[in-house]
Amino acid sequence: MSNKGETTKTRRRRSYTKNSLYRVCFVFFMYFFVSSWFLLFAADNARQIVEEAQKRTDAKSQRYEGLLQVFDAKGKISDKRWSFDRIGSHGGSKAVLRFAAPAEVKGVALLVVNHPDRASDQWMWTPAIERDRRIALQDRSTRFFGTDFSFEDLEERDVNQYDYSLLGDDTVDGVACWKIQSQPKEGKSSQYTQSIVWVRKDNYAFARVENFIKDQAVRRLVYSNIENVQGIWSARQLEMSDLRRGSRTRLTLDKLQYNVPMKDDDFTLQAIRRQ
Amino acid sequence: MKRLVALSIILTIPSVAAAQTISQRGFVDATLTTFPEDAPNDTVNAIGDLLIREEVFVKPSPWLQFAAGVDVRANTHSHVDARWRPGINIVDDRDLTRPALSIRRLSATVSRGPFTLDAGKQFIRWGKTDIVTPTDRFAPRDFLNVIDTEFLPVIGVRGGVRLGDDNIDVVWVPVFTPSRIPLLNQRWAVIPAGAPPSIVQAAPQLPTGPQTGIRWNHAGSRVEYALAFFDGFNYLPNLEVLPSSVPGQLVSTSRYPSLRSYGGDVAVPTRWFTLKAEAAYFTSSTPLTDEYVLYVLQLERQTGEWSFVGGYAGDHVTKRQALAPFAPDRGLTRALVGRASYTLDGNRSIAFETAIRWNGDGGYLKADYSQASGGHWRTTVSGALLRGAPGDFIGQYRLNSHLTLALRYSF
Repeated sequence: MSNKGETTKTRRRRSYTKNSLYRVCFVFFMYFFVSSWFLLFAADNARQIVEEAQKRTDAKSQRYEGLLQVFDAKGKISDKRWSFDRIGSHGGSKAVLRFAAPAEVKGVALLVVNHPDRASDQWMWTPAIERDRRIALQDRSTRFFGTDFSFEDLEERDVNQYDYSLLGDDTVDGVACWKIQSQPKEGKSSQYTQSIVWVRKDNYAFARVENFIKDQAVRRLVYSNIENVQGIWSARQLEMSDLRRGSRTRLTLDKLQYNVPMKDDDFTLQAIRRQ
Repeated sequence: MKRLVALSIILTIPSVAAAQTISQRGFVDATLTTFPEDAPNDTVNAIGDLLIREEVFVKPSPWLQFAAGVDVRANTHSHVDARWRPGINIVDDRDLTRPALSIRRLSATVSRGPFTLDAGKQFIRWGKTDIVTPTDRFAPRDFLNVIDTEFLPVIGVRGGVRLGDDNIDVVWVPVFTPSRIPLLNQRWAVIPAGAPPSIVQAAPQLPTGPQTGIRWNHAGSRVEYALAFFDGFNYLPNLEVLPSSVPGQLVSTSRYPSLRSYGGDVAVPTRWFTLKAEAAYFTSSTPLTDEYVLYVLQLERQTGEWSFVGGYAGDHVTKRQALAPFAPDRGLTRALVGRASYTLDGNRSIAFETAIRWNGDGGYLKADYSQASGGHWRTTVSGALLRGAPGDFIGQYRLNSHLTLALRYSF
């Protein structure tokens, strides 16, 4: 009898242990299953959000006159002006940026040819020496002409060059945003190891981008004065902060227009030599 | 009918005016250069320069552009010829001294699809390397100060066609523009010891006949390279020194030999730096003229606020014949050449440039500090230290170390 009882107890104990193990396994399984799906969904969702944001800024061309105000760590301001023309959108676009002020850099121009599958090609034209110079990939992290934008920051990012994951919801200046992490894909050469992007929920416009090298945030780009220009929600002011130097550059976009008639021939090395 | 034409012109003027874009740039530059040491043929220790430059670009239509530029100069040490000689100096700028008034550029550019045509007085730069650029054959320079040079424009036609990543440039220059060589009675012309006290610099003997060149450039994503061919004249002269009719006097005449060059350049961005190389082989049908190869190998890198370019420039003479060429391009070969600059902030920068002969016989180091203030002013303080043996191209200028203060107002 007692043996029987012991056996039943043992069986019950074993069965309990077995059930507990199954339960734990089930919980773990469900946890991994749900979290993987969540991550997968979140990643997918994040990509969809950025894709939608990109789609909403698609235009055949863009033109603006930019006022750059460079504030150094001591708060000193120096002003620069450039004109900016872009043909195409995102991965297939080409852009020419030409300085109009200060007087001593008038005519200096940068040609950016973006590619959907790799880093852009960039050339700079310096009229004082009548020569163009290719900006090599390893030089893209340097500051562009004394501003806080690096040469790489002047590229137009294409959604397909990055992997995304949704970090959650956040607010920027009281506006609800999605907070998304983006990491350059293997083939994409970038100075940044990752970026955190805040995308506004109301209009899919970018609100802020923080760029990281390893774990350190090195540059922060804040978009403000967001207006609807020809159906495209556009920031009229961008402020790039170099977090290591403590300096910042504010870019104000004047005379912003989209879908201006432009020719592909004006976005070549030969064309930027024409002053 | 005439009224109809007139009416149509009147009606089209406003639209043309609205479409055309006009831009300009210019500056006033005042420079004071001081030489602490006297040279045997020049004891002037301070030279003042004034340069006013204005350039205007007009684009009456998307496919047409006009460019015009004028230089006005003054100098305290006879570098500037103030005589009014429109054909010789104002348009051509081919004399021994700088013209007080000269046309810096006057050209029209027509671009249709992949074709571009530039005609007139313009700057044509070929090649990729810095300091020494063997394939840059349409870019004569002003060597009145041998290490602070300035490019001179040429009069010609440049046609270009773009085929994807490739570009073909064809140049035709009907009028030869020489480099401006140092004045014989000044410190950058070094008179050999034992030479008679009186040497007269005759007007340069300029060759007639056109110069032509063709360059094929490929700008790929991983590599950029070009091949260049030039047929014309060397913008650097052979110096012919002969007794004059006046007893005890010599006359130095610059003669510009024919030159044919075959060259190429390449730029390869790597993970750490951009590798640049350029080489050209020069032949000549003019008697007593050297035939040689010039080559340059350089590395370029920008990191943080620093920008570096440096490497080795070499030459190899395949046929030595010239007695006395004035050849700063070859004078800077067999040397380590480099340039570095550092941006202190948005308004201030420092820069260094050097060329040191491999055998240690000569070298120079230039350093400058530059500061902008407001939107228009820039002050630059620079110094050049030259050292070396008297027989070396750089070393012969060892008495010409100098300090320069330049103030520029850009508008």
